[in-house]
Amino acid sequence: MPNDDEVGENIRMIVDSARSVVPPDGDLSRIRSLRFEARGFDPSIYRTMAEMGWLALRLPDEAGGLGLGMREYCALAEVLGAGLTPEPLISAALACRLLGCSVPKNVLAGERVVLAAWQDGPSDLQWRRGVTLDEGTATGGKQFVPMAAGAGAFAIPTQDGVAVVDAAAAGLELDLRATQDGGQAGQLRLSATAIELTVRPADVDAALDEATLATAAYLLGLAGRAFEITREYLVVRKQFGHPIGSFQALQHRAADMKIQIELTRASVAAAAAAFDGEADPRMRPVRASQAKARASETALLVAREAIQMHGAIGYTDECDIGLYVRKAMTVANTFGTAACHRRRYASLTSEPAAI
Amino acid sequence: MPEPAFEDMNPLTDEDFRMAVRRFVEENYPDIPRYSQRRLHWHENRPWYEILARRGWLCPNWPPEYGGMGLSATKQLIMVEEYERYGCARVNDIGIVMLGPLLIRYGTQAQKDFFLPRIISGEHVWAQGYSEPNAGSDLAAVRTEAVLAGEEWVINGQKTWTTLGSDANWIFILARTDKTVKKQAGISFLLVPMTNKGVSVRTIRNLELHDEFCEVFFDDVRIARDHLVGDVNSGWTMAKALLGHERVFIGSPRLSSNALVRLRLMAQRMDVWDDPAFRDRYTRLQLDLADLAALFETYVEKLRRGEPIGPDVTILKIFQSELYQRISELMLEIAGETAGYVEPLDGDPRLHAAATYLMARPTTIFGGSSEIMRNVLCKSVLGLPSA
Repeated sequence: MPNDDEVGENIRMIVDSARSVVPPDGDLSRIRSLRFEARGFDPSIYRTMAEMGWLALRLPDEAGGLGLGMREYCALAEVLGAGLTPEPLISAALACRLLGCSVPKNVLAGERVVLAAWQDGPSDLQWRRGVTLDEGTATGGKQFVPMAAGAGAFAIPTQDGVAVVDAAAAGLELDLRATQDGGQAGQLRLSATAIELTVRPADVDAALDEATLATAAYLLGLAGRAFEITREYLVVRKQFGHPIGSFQALQHRAADMKIQIELTRASVAAAAAAFDGEADPRMRPVRASQAKARASETALLVAREAIQMHGAIGYTDECDIGLYVRKAMTVANTFGTAACHRRRYASLTSEPAAI
Repeated sequence: MPEPAFEDMNPLTDEDFRMAVRRFVEENYPDIPRYSQRRLHWHENRPWYEILARRGWLCPNWPPEYGGMGLSATKQLIMVEEYERYGCARVNDIGIVMLGPLLIRYGTQAQKDFFLPRIISGEHVWAQGYSEPNAGSDLAAVRTEAVLAGEEWVINGQKTWTTLGSDANWIFILARTDKTVKKQAGISFLLVPMTNKGVSVRTIRNLELHDEFCEVFFDDVRIARDHLVGDVNSGWTMAKALLGHERVFIGSPRLSSNALVRLRLMAQRMDVWDDPAFRDRYTRLQLDLADLAALFETYVEKLRRGEPIGPDVTILKIFQSELYQRISELMLEIAGETAGYVEPLDGDPRLHAAATYLMARPTTIFGGSSEIMRNVLCKSVLGLPSA
């Protein structure tokens, strides 16, 4: 395990490089302009992200990856969440992680977008039943592939290995449902669809745990920035001759949001450290569920409080806070709802939390 | 008492350290109550205090050069968990947790040399004299007064809510030494032997029907001039730094962790453990505790590295105390009508919903009430405007 100084330096570099994608001044005009457009994200930004190695962040050197830890991945995801970045990095990085050493060069380079189509249902981490493989073809269904309109191919984990299918292959139907954040959720039907590539079964559960934790970090970034915007509004907005942030009724609710955000930060950091360290690997799903349950609830808490504290302007589409609300609504339940993670946490910890 | 040789426990793996603590506790815990709901008095917990001191484990948070363990944050938590697991009594730790770190940071060499070993030996048992009848949440309004007369300070006034004050033979106080300046700028930090003429103590019975609190009266009490810590009128600044320590300590997941074990035992006893509706509420509390522990570790780590504790520690204090209360409230609910019992259920001190519920009440009041903590958080951390 690299020492804390090296990790700190890696994080500093990766957060710096993320500034090329997420404007430091918080400008959201790019995000606004991509909403409900063809793909919902910008392929050239996606390529930039790939060129910086982000898709292969978790892959080892020999697979052309950066070999970085979850602490670095979470730091990156947090910045992306703060900027509401629509490019489907977590889904694409998951696809690369599932393909491991077999991931094609053009995919790592961001020239071809391959997204993970792993999900069997709308609210949990089940992936084993949706699709079966038979003689070079795949049959079945996968749900909720984010930003699926921009995918060139899908990486599908099955019990017999990870299959890659081209988005234009015969027997593949993609039903796109527009989502609140301006993207789409792709519902995939496969009927004897030709497989382009099959990779021996990877540790799918471990890969999903990493994506779950990265999503928690994305939600942390989202909640942190939405809270900061709201805090600034409390300082400048005046009613009854005073800034509304001087009223104790709002102050104490702002304090409660801050408390939840800092709990989320500690939870995500502790989880990332557990993935990177020498702690018992069985703690990883426990920690991932702990962090994701908190992050989902925090993001939704901050979202609804942000609307209320902005007053009527918060209910308009022109106010940026709404972009955070709609992203939180879309992402909070990805990679398992808070309830799903609470159940999983309970089933994995028969004793009170090993803290 | 010979000083134990310093033994660095940090290189042990967490699991080995845990086992070492567990073995030590099981082999050495004296014949005093376990799983006690009330704080034990000095005459009851002293044997355990002395056993810890002999082992060199009394002050895990102090640096080794002062007789502490210099223990990592994670291992301090493990230690506490193992004590809780066995139901060890909490020792009189005000000198260890509160005064020790302050003297190490602000005391003169002579003060450190004199006081620190006497805390470890148990010769000095400390109490904290901050609150007064008219200085509670508004602590800077203290009126207990100290006037320099030659080589002595003369103290008059009253302190209250002094935890285990009747056990202590020394008390550190905040006293007013200048009435002409802003209230925070006229307060000094003094060390007072409670055996001196003019000190009197009266116990107060609390809601749990225990005499843990005291009032302490000072009537022309004279102490040596060098029993001032830091500069004259710098007491508020130092006390605030100490409050940081206190709030980290109050933010420890220990109380909630302990209460959650009791909640589980009560749920099993009352046959609701397998009720899914109960279990979801339990799991939420379990997750709150796990995240609290993660947050707590970041603060203990700061303390260990000697970094200052900022006003954001209020987050820890608010969440821990309110979580402890929420656990105790669910325990009271599932206890059914046994919730009203004065004595524990089945004679098991852990099955005592009323005691847990009542013990949890003052944690949102002492060390700064939750409401004041939220005000501090809004002003000093969030930068929200004042009314």
